[in-house]
Amino acid sequence: MTTTVGRSVTRIDGRDKVTGAAVFGVDLAVAGMLHGAVVRSPHPHARIVSIDPAAAAAAPGVEVIVTGADFPYLFGSATRDQPFLAIDRVRYVGEPVVAIAARTEAEAQEAADLVVVEYEELPAVCDMRDALAEDAPLVHPDMHTYVKGAHVIVPHTNINTLWTFERGDVEAGFAGADLIVEDEFTAHALSHAALEPHVSIAAYDPVNRAYTLWLPTDRPFQVRGELTAALGIPSDKVRLIVTSVGGSFGGKNTLISEAISVALARFAGGRPVRVEFTRQEDLTATSTRVPAIMKLRTGVTRDGSITARSAEALWDSGAYTSNTVGVAIRGSSTIFGPYRTPHLSLVVRQVYTNRATTGSYRGYGTTQVTWACESQMDMIAAALGLDPLAFRLRNGYEEGDPYINEQIMHGVGLRESLERTAAEIGWGEVDRAPAPHLRRGKGIATMLKPTATPTSSNAVIKVEEDGRVTVLVAAPEIGAGQSTVLAQIAADAIGVPIEAVVVPGTDTAYTPYNGPVASSRTTFHVGNAIVMAGAEIREKILAAAADILDRDAGRLDLVDGRIVEDGVPIKPLSELFGGLAYGDGYSITAEARYSSKGSPLLKAAAPYEWMSSIFWMFATHAAEIEVDIETGAVRVVKVAAAGDVGRAINPMACEQQIEGGVVMGISNALFEEFKGSGGRIDNGSFADYKLAALPDIPEIVAIIVESQHAEAPFGAKGIGEPAAAATPPAIANALFDAVGIRILDLPITPEKVLRAIAEKASAEGAG
Amino acid sequence: MRLTATVNGRARTFEVEARSTLLEVIRESLLLTGAKEACGVGECGNCMVLLDGEPTPSCLVLAPDAEGREIVTVEGLAPEGALDEVQAAFLEAGAFQCGFCTPGMVITAGALLRDQPNAAAGEIKQALAGVLCRCGSYTKVMKAMEKLAGRGA
Repeated sequence: MTTTVGRSVTRIDGRDKVTGAAVFGVDLAVAGMLHGAVVRSPHPHARIVSIDPAAAAAAPGVEVIVTGADFPYLFGSATRDQPFLAIDRVRYVGEPVVAIAARTEAEAQEAADLVVVEYEELPAVCDMRDALAEDAPLVHPDMHTYVKGAHVIVPHTNINTLWTFERGDVEAGFAGADLIVEDEFTAHALSHAALEPHVSIAAYDPVNRAYTLWLPTDRPFQVRGELTAALGIPSDKVRLIVTSVGGSFGGKNTLISEAISVALARFAGGRPVRVEFTRQEDLTATSTRVPAIMKLRTGVTRDGSITARSAEALWDSGAYTSNTVGVAIRGSSTIFGPYRTPHLSLVVRQVYTNRATTGSYRGYGTTQVTWACESQMDMIAAALGLDPLAFRLRNGYEEGDPYINEQIMHGVGLRESLERTAAEIGWGEVDRAPAPHLRRGKGIATMLKPTATPTSSNAVIKVEEDGRVTVLVAAPEIGAGQSTVLAQIAADAIGVPIEAVVVPGTDTAYTPYNGPVASSRTTFHVGNAIVMAGAEIREKILAAAADILDRDAGRLDLVDGRIVEDGVPIKPLSELFGGLAYGDGYSITAEARYSSKGSPLLKAAAPYEWMSSIFWMFATHAAEIEVDIETGAVRVVKVAAAGDVGRAINPMACEQQIEGGVVMGISNALFEEFKGSGGRIDNGSFADYKLAALPDIPEIVAIIVESQHAEAPFGAKGIGEPAAAATPPAIANALFDAVGIRILDLPITPEKVLRAIAEKASAEGAG
Repeated sequence: MRLTATVNGRARTFEVEARSTLLEVIRESLLLTGAKEACGVGECGNCMVLLDGEPTPSCLVLAPDAEGREIVTVEGLAPEGALDEVQAAFLEAGAFQCGFCTPGMVITAGALLRDQPNAAAGEIKQALAGVLCRCGSYTKVMKAMEKLAGRGA
């Protein structure tokens, strides 16, 4: 029976959020803490000749100064290539070189300015195409010596990831095509720009030689693993206590401020060290979306069936691989979109450059490839004279279709998402622009997204003496409503009201293991673990009730927090354990683990089962825009956005993700762009790196598609990650509809629009 | 130096450094951490407080300039355990996601509605234009505001 699942329950973290009571990473102060600051590299590539910290050491308030020589460890989840502080050489502008802890933040910053570092500049490679050149400077000449995962590298080059994939006979596929198109698309770097900047507090206990970190992160166990692997210490020597997270979007999941606070804490004699980056540091020297250049070649028949597709994708990890390897490989694998494609081939390369490190960003590579795939789908439709919606529907996946690795796909809500967004935007109806210098157009784009597979989640559920239910899961609340949705699942799985459920914050000392809060996997994976543990604890509660109340367990039930006998409530759970002497006390706990590993749903062609996803998410956005042909400015009028969530545990929380995704997509497509040259980012402020604000927001209609999923908790899949990817190509496609121009490289700026309009006019004039 | 000001209805006297900002004093001396620093230079609106009733980015106010003035932070909008009208509407509409910008949003929204109880949609958008929300909760913020302004469900 479900009582809260499917309802827009008020978020359980909401009261703390609207009153300002929620404690984020930046809000935390630990007694006796010092404050850190960072001396950063001014060069994209240089050898460190000498570091003279004498003046800084003598400055007021300074307690600790650390360099890479003092803390010479390397970290990295895919390739262990990144130092906590630069060792011998710097590889990007803004790379941390020296860390300083002082009594106040101002004293630490002032001392940082006094450190003298002498550099010998080295040739730098700041463009990903240049990084492929045979004589390109090597960012990591010793790449082949690093500890790394199973991915393929090309030693003595800048290529840190190489992956190829082929299915069918791609040349035969192209030979059978009536039309072959080939285009190159570029997706740019973007800041995660979480409003809460990177921040952490680290303490080192010299007695136990153990670290404690207080931090906002979405990957507690993975960050712990990165740290223990880097330092060569066991898991009990690192404890992570996770605060409320003031936005992550894939950005707060590795050692960023943490690398600095940990290095400083190691030498701070037990005093905690707090490190908070300024907005300028946050924008220019933490992590960005991985930029990509994507060549996509597609063959189609005259009537609009895709016969073959081949792609070459080049990704830029920046100076260190961080978590980009998965982004490049998993992201690229979805460049063919949610379309049946009999023959295909793919070559993926990722290179090091002397630029700030890049990494996972909401969508994990799908925002980049969806830009390429969905722009080209419209270009093909235009070339064939087909309706872009009909062309997509003709080729789109349906329930039971095989994916490109031959996994049979279930829970495919693609068609419904296309049809409902098209209906909502008024597809095929022409809206007149309100003034002669304005043009209106409509566009649609869709996408599919796998979730990280296989991964696992654990849940421990505990019933307290007053009947309250504590759900221990390592699923930090990053803003997407995780805690509420998981509480809803727990409430219904156990048979208690949601008000009785508490989901405490993550503390790796007590919370069981979970994969990351990423990849839109939380509701499904953690939810499944909670459903299993919930069923077990329900049985234990009923057995205890039978014992305490001296009844027949077989006739008891737990409904909405009441013990019920043959349908008649006999005792509230909140009173069941009360009044018992200590000797009769009950401690009721249950635990469960869910893993997608080995699920029959993942069966696919060997050796490509790793490309299977335990569930597939589909999202379609349809946009109406207005373009000013005198200024080139694009205004988004309306977006209808559908997400196939399987089943909405909390429809309001799903709407939040869909609406927020569209806002992010608009911001990414029209406003956000790093400026600078030679590997340096010059626009390190919100005045110069513009984010969408309220006046930029159109009418957004969120559409929830519920395709259901058999292995899911109450049918629910995921929602957050696919929510932003389809908006930029939907806008680009609407721009083509409005004025007949194509922008292939993001972002869509007024300058590019004006230039394209002028080029089109001159080409037509010449023709 | 010594600073005397009314904070959330209470007269407070405390030591501040002349170069401290009002935001630093509120967060670090008074331990009222609702107002947030997300940029430190008046570009994000996450640190808004009411200064003599006017929504003000507290990161741009030097602490000594707050002498003798009345400051209301998000913590002072309603008594402990209660919500004001704007907070209640935001909670009901789900007009927040991570909640980091929400204090700045509700402070600014409350001041607008106090002055213009029936503010039009365009006026609401302009008034809240300076409060950045990366989660993109804007649509639900507008829903809450439309209701508070006497329109919509």
